[in-house]
Amino acid sequence: MTTLPMADSSVSAPRIEIDAVSKSFDGGRSFAVSNVSFDVKQGSLVALVGGSGSGKTTLLKTINRLVEPDAGEIRIDGAPVGEAEPPMLRRSIGYVFQGIGLFPHMRVAENIAVTLRLLGWQTNDIEARVTEMLEMVDLPRDYARRFPHMLSGGQRQRVGVARAIAARPRIVLMDEPFGALDPVTRDNLGSSYRALHEKLGMTTLMVTHDIQEAALMADRIVVMKDGHILANETPHTLMRGSDDADVAALMEVPRRQAERLSALMTESRPVDA
Amino acid sequence: MPDGDMAGLLSDGQLDALSGAWNLLPTYLTPHIVLCATALTLGLVISLPLAALITDRPWLRRLVLAFASLIQTIPGLALLALFYPLLLALSALAASFLGFSIPALGFLPTLLALTLYAILPILRNGVVGLNGIDSAVVEAAEGVGMTPWQILMRVRAPLATPVIMAGVRTATVWTIGAATLSTPVGQTSLGNYIFTGLQTENWVSVAFGCVAAAGLALVADLFLGLVETGASERNRKRVVVGIAGLALGTLAGLAPLFSARAVTYTIGAKSFSEQYILADLIGDRLRADGVGVTRKDGLGSSIAFRALAHNDIDAYVDYSGTLWRNVMGRTDTPSREVMLREIAGWMKAKYGVTVLGALGFENAYVLAMKGERARTLNITSIADLARVAPELTIGDDLEFLGRPEWTSLKSVYGLSFKRRRSFNPTMMYHAIETGEADVISAYSSDGRIAALDLIALADPKHAIPSYDALILIAPRRAADKRLKRALAPLIGAIPIEAMRHANLMVDRDIDKASPEEAARALAKAVHLQPR
Ligand SMILES: Nc1ncnc2c1ncn2[C@@H]1O[C@H](COP(=O)(O)OP(=O)(O)OP(=O)(O)O)[C@@H](O)[C@H]1O
Ligand SMILES: [Mg+2]
Repeated sequence: MTTLPMADSSVSAPRIEIDAVSKSFDGGRSFAVSNVSFDVKQGSLVALVGGSGSGKTTLLKTINRLVEPDAGEIRIDGAPVGEAEPPMLRRSIGYVFQGIGLFPHMRVAENIAVTLRLLGWQTNDIEARVTEMLEMVDLPRDYARRFPHMLSGGQRQRVGVARAIAARPRIVLMDEPFGALDPVTRDNLGSSYRALHEKLGMTTLMVTHDIQEAALMADRIVVMKDGHILANETPHTLMRGSDDADVAALMEVPRRQAERLSALMTESRPVDA
Repeated sequence: MPDGDMAGLLSDGQLDALSGAWNLLPTYLTPHIVLCATALTLGLVISLPLAALITDRPWLRRLVLAFASLIQTIPGLALLALFYPLLLALSALAASFLGFSIPALGFLPTLLALTLYAILPILRNGVVGLNGIDSAVVEAAEGVGMTPWQILMRVRAPLATPVIMAGVRTATVWTIGAATLSTPVGQTSLGNYIFTGLQTENWVSVAFGCVAAAGLALVADLFLGLVETGASERNRKRVVVGIAGLALGTLAGLAPLFSARAVTYTIGAKSFSEQYILADLIGDRLRADGVGVTRKDGLGSSIAFRALAHNDIDAYVDYSGTLWRNVMGRTDTPSREVMLREIAGWMKAKYGVTVLGALGFENAYVLAMKGERARTLNITSIADLARVAPELTIGDDLEFLGRPEWTSLKSVYGLSFKRRRSFNPTMMYHAIETGEADVISAYSSDGRIAALDLIALADPKHAIPSYDALILIAPRRAADKRLKRALAPLIGAIPIEAMRHANLMVDRDIDKASPEEAARALAKAVHLQPR
């Protein structure tokens, strides 16, 4: 049984190796993830992008064994996750669900503390940590006593992020963590997450549909389509263009938007005047 | 209505019936609550783990739910009745291995049937509730690192609680209602109001029983409703109030049991109606005296005395002839008085057993004839019978003609019949009615003697020993004044006619009463004052 140590800035962040992983949900007729290999380097933040149904969530879940791959292997610092006890493995990995997945019968505080409880934290430490987490995701302290159904979609999403990182995991897997947030909060939360990531020495794999967000937050961007990897590059390289038509089209989006925005800003000035 | 001026809505008679019913409430309500609370607790303890176990196994789930639905289609009374033969078989098995038989009537079959009834809605709602949880929530629970057990206890069970509670409410209302059906199988409940009321056409009693059962169900449902809404709205105060209400209500209903806890006497009974009736009669007197009573029923004839001598039971009724022949091993037949005196002395000396006294009737082997025919033939005793016996047919119960009593009768009176026929006991009584037999062997306290207008022929030469019903008291209770004081009024208080009538109430085919009811009727008939 392998229990991964919790984040500690003095210890170097873990490395995730995804090695020839395949997963089919229909007995091999089609593959949600097909022979995918790439590394998430120590301390890096990798964005996973791609169209709907391209296999991003499936791939993410193979890392903490919510999905068992049909072939291939995933290693964390060289140790195959297949040899770890799933509950122990999962307690050491923060996971933000695409559908948020808060427990409806638990208050916000209990939701955030759930992994801490499983890990046997002291009540005092738990309380302090919950307060800290609420601050971090920019939620008022008294929201701790609310139930999830009393929150807005974006607030729920922030609780989901808080729950994932509360136990100071060294690996965080996030499946569209900021999708339901307004642009301002989204930008703020993105930046503070990136800062935390640096500070604590975490390794993060984040699924997002927002190329701009990927480009601004991530060290590398992995592009998926139909279970395959189309590209695995730094944002800088990708923004300069790609041989692959799909990748090129994808990366076109933020650039075109940026151009249109700047055009809008220059054109609109005379109207105001 | 000939008597009773109508004062308001109810006549005097009805007001009497109402206050009578009210006074019986603790007697009927307590066992009702004990029964329902036990059945529901058992139901919960069985169905919740079962629901958790089968919920992830679709095949098993379908099978168990189908079985549970099947039970539900069996009407309550039939279900209770079905347990009777089952427990009889078990009882026989236990008797041959352990020496004691399990009572096939009363608490046990009722509890089993009600538990089965309670399981169904709890199990079904449990499975539905546990299954109906959003798979995303379960996946999230896995994702944060819960083990399957933690997922069950921390996520699935709390989320399923409102649905489960709805099942518990259904089960509670059913159980409280169905428990009224336990009266015909010998378990006291609020159903006693209804069934005795129906028998004696006491409609006030029937209505009282219905209202009491409905009221109990409503109160229980009210508190469970608080628990349910409290659970679904996560309002802890409501849950606590609901549970506290249930607990207090149950305790209040059980209070009579606790107050009677101090002393508990065990009354034994052999396995026939008269014994049950007398044990109930004794039990009622002790209870009225404020002491607790438990029962050991269905004891074998020889086992009963041994149990008493070993202090396993505190009191029971046995018959002088049986003690004389079987326990003391005597073969002579002295007069009744001599026999009683000798038995009392011997019991005390040999076992420390106290013979409190004779109840006043005998349950002996007798020869019986139709009253009309006996008068025509001018027969009042066995001596008279001997004259005409060669012209007559004797019917027995498959047993009598093989017993020493018959040998003794034959030689003392020179009896010989034209024909001998054997019947099962019911058919034997049928035979004497239709004239297929002219004389039958019977027990002198059998109610059918009076009911069929039979007369028991006298035994002037004392060929058969007397079989006086005696109250025996265990050695450890020899100095127990309270016990003796409570039972003393029974001595010499029960004439044979009263006993026959009480036996008939239980033995007849239609309009049967429970031994308990017969005991109450008997106490009333012989004017025993409740203390
Ligand atoms: N449990 C499952 N059973 C069957 N098929 C599944 C299951 N989970 C995913 N799939 C299929 O696998 C493929 C990849 O799904 P996945 O959820 O990984 O896509 P995604 O890239 O996360 O898409 P989105 O951006 O819409 O969230 C899809 O075709 C999906 O229908
Ligand atoms: Mg997805």
